[in-house]
Amino acid sequence: MSPSLSYDVVVLGAGVAGLSAATQLAEGGARVCVLAKGVGSTHLAPGTVDVLGYSPERVEEPGGALGEFIAAHPEHPYALMGAQAIAPALEWFAACIERGPQPGYSYTGGLARNHLLPTAVGAIRPSALVPETMAAGDMRAAGPVCVVGVRVLRDFYASVCAGNLRRAGIDARAVEVDVDVGRVEANSLGLARCFDDERFRAAFAARLAMLLRPGERVGLPAVLGLRDPHGAWSDLQRRLGHAVFEVPTLPPSAPGMRIYNALVHALRRGGGRLVLGSEVRGVEREAGRVSAVRAHTSGHETTYHARWVVLATGGFASGAIELGSDWRARETVLGLPLRGMPPAGEPRFGADYFGPQPMSGVGVAVDSSLLAQDTENVYVAGAALPGAMPWREGSGEGISLASGHFVAQAVLEHEVAAAAA
Amino acid sequence: MEKLSADVLVIGGGATGAGVAWDASLRGLDVVLVERGDLATGTSGRFHGLLHSGGRYAVKDPAAADECARENVIVRRVAADSVEDTGGFFVTTPFDDPAYADRFAQGCRDSGVPCQEVAPAQALREEPRLNPRISRAFRVPDASIDVWKLVWALSRGAQERGARVLPYHQAVAVHRDGDEVQGARVRSARTGQELDIEARVTVSAAGAWGGQLAALAGIEGVHVMPGKGIMIAMNHRLVDTVINRCQMPTDGDIIVPIRTVSVIGTTDVGTDDPDDHTVLQDEVDAMLEDGERLIPGFKQARALRVWTGARPLFEDRKENGASESRDVTRAHALLDHRERDGVSGFVTITGGKLTTYRLMAEETVDAVCRQLGEARPSRTATEPLPGSEDGEYYRLAERLDRREQHLLEDQLICECELISRGRLEAAFRQRGTTDLDDIRRQLRLGMGPCQGGFCVYRTAGILHGLDGIDTEQANAALVDYVAERWKGEWPILYGDQLRQARLDEWIFQGILDIEHLP
Repeated sequence: MSPSLSYDVVVLGAGVAGLSAATQLAEGGARVCVLAKGVGSTHLAPGTVDVLGYSPERVEEPGGALGEFIAAHPEHPYALMGAQAIAPALEWFAACIERGPQPGYSYTGGLARNHLLPTAVGAIRPSALVPETMAAGDMRAAGPVCVVGVRVLRDFYASVCAGNLRRAGIDARAVEVDVDVGRVEANSLGLARCFDDERFRAAFAARLAMLLRPGERVGLPAVLGLRDPHGAWSDLQRRLGHAVFEVPTLPPSAPGMRIYNALVHALRRGGGRLVLGSEVRGVEREAGRVSAVRAHTSGHETTYHARWVVLATGGFASGAIELGSDWRARETVLGLPLRGMPPAGEPRFGADYFGPQPMSGVGVAVDSSLLAQDTENVYVAGAALPGAMPWREGSGEGISLASGHFVAQAVLEHEVAAAAA
Repeated sequence: MEKLSADVLVIGGGATGAGVAWDASLRGLDVVLVERGDLATGTSGRFHGLLHSGGRYAVKDPAAADECARENVIVRRVAADSVEDTGGFFVTTPFDDPAYADRFAQGCRDSGVPCQEVAPAQALREEPRLNPRISRAFRVPDASIDVWKLVWALSRGAQERGARVLPYHQAVAVHRDGDEVQGARVRSARTGQELDIEARVTVSAAGAWGGQLAALAGIEGVHVMPGKGIMIAMNHRLVDTVINRCQMPTDGDIIVPIRTVSVIGTTDVGTDDPDDHTVLQDEVDAMLEDGERLIPGFKQARALRVWTGARPLFEDRKENGASESRDVTRAHALLDHRERDGVSGFVTITGGKLTTYRLMAEETVDAVCRQLGEARPSRTATEPLPGSEDGEYYRLAERLDRREQHLLEDQLICECELISRGRLEAAFRQRGTTDLDDIRRQLRLGMGPCQGGFCVYRTAGILHGLDGIDTEQANAALVDYVAERWKGEWPILYGDQLRQARLDEWIFQGILDIEHLP
């Protein structure tokens, strides 16, 4: 007989949706356990909170554009939750980061206006709520820009970034700094750890300062610290005497890992539990309810009983939804029904890479309260929801945070009602 | 207009055309080779990579089997650096007629294909993923051959002997004066500029496009029907030996381990257009099922991509034509148009298979020499290609060996295929190209499991850092490559490869936003 634990809520998945739902549940007094096979998309994503970037043209004011977007996409998660679900979720998130383990680190912006941030190729990407360390990269601001490459980082090329900014009419140039990190190549994570070290920053700033011209804003790959990004960023600005901004690049993502660290910190502070390396191997059902999941962790199995389950396991990217070689899709964790599959015989993908991709909207079938179809106690949040194309719309974190907030509120309301009864 | 002149103009830069250029150069002839795309991007670059032992034809076509067996020995020697000595098995699965095995063994004996029967248990020890219910197994000297390496070696060898090789030059007209072909006009795909090439003999080595080229020369009845076949690359070496089903040749009965992947092939569907690359769902499904028959669990591996190639299947439709090419038992066709049509200075070589490219080239240049009235014997059966002088086969671990020697000096840019920054920069400089697909064929850039997800941005960034490359070119390199790779991915996306594709979408669209480059 495997050990058995009991919680109010079991949350499956440790991405932005799962961790934010779990943390808000814990903060609301619920006993919560997060089970996750691994970390979620935070470590891959740019670390910004994109709510609505393209519809399909670039969106300047996401708050204002949501009404029309929802009307045009009645199956979209935003349409199910309603636009009003988004703002409180962003507010909660920004506050959560500020209370986080990274002193002084904060996000800036909101639904009023998208920031227009350069990507690592120098395209301009709209994003609603962004780390303070990226805000100075808003390309609406006037003044020259200097994009800085770090030779050892093979995942960022300043000359391409600056070249495309110039093509977009921005006064931008590129420089490259060679720093010794003890080896010939590094990724963002390795370099971010270097930037946590004040001596490294001092040496780096000394080299870079010689290359800068007065009045330039300085764009660096998003590697300015993990433990204390606010400290690293402010210190670098002070040493250089220039405004500094981070540019997100290839995974792993330091800004994304900061989000993960802050959310896990908040979850634990609220009394919630996180068990990474857990794979759901079995489900116990009673009528329309999932009453328990059996999870396999480091060679042993534990049964987690819960009144509520939040499924925030992601979509195809995480493997939670899988397309078999028989061309049938299935939800692999709880075996829930899906929605959005193109009919058999119809194309699943389009030949044009940038064209319509019919499979993209596949997700777990839910009702308008985000309860999974045919269940009474399984809520769905994040990329598992159908009807969205987050990487095209620029809506990933917006959907995750809003749905995480939405399902946490729904569960807490049920709990309060049950307690009152 | 610029003009070139040569003894021999070769049109078509696949294995046959490059083979002709090498053979003719070795015989001391002055050669110009033109190819409409990059070298080996037609049928040669779109095959499975099998150097036949001849076993496949042992029953159906003993003459072809004999030819393959002889050429296999020669190619292994002169092009060793392009060949991996995998060896091959013919295995009788429960889905095959058990009576075929004895006919196969007899056919191999009759046609000179080296073949040794081994106990099924022995074959299974060597290839543990094989269907455990095989009842017979035969060992043959099949091998895998890297066609790009081969064609570059041929081209480099020819160039070292004075040949001029012009990729991305398409023949737009064949110059004909009465009954004499005198060369061709070609147009650069890159600059649009045209160039006249005057030649004593023009060789059409355009394979599946040979009919089109003959028509351009005003010669009728050269009918080359493209036989379209699909192939699927799986993400790693499911087998280390070429595996054939022991049955009459049919669809989906060969798995070839080549470089870091395994390729299953193929089908054979007649089509009108050699540039038709349509992949049908039914073909993909059938091919995956065929894979399961040879290797249970085949479909659980990641299918990286699917592509098609166009076999040139020659049929002579000329009334009262020379009889030689009519009663073909051999799979390739050499048309000496002086004999066939009374048009001198023009020779067509078509049909055939990669394994016999050298023989085809030799026979072609023999015909060229006959037309020139010069006796110059072929030396390609004994002269090793550049890079193969030591006779050592390619080994799978070669790249890792080399990489480990430079681990601390050079950044790794493509993790899947172990390509360093130094090699990449050298390839860009050497090729003078900004097309990442050209670099892919040389270095296998982006051909591994992530299909370019991580290396393509890096490569575009490195390219941009080279002298004379502007941002538009770097952008085009990036976007074109991503769009091009997608063509081979989407018809077969499922399982973990779909996961990978989704991660790549996050990178290209979510993080880099390449769709909105200025």
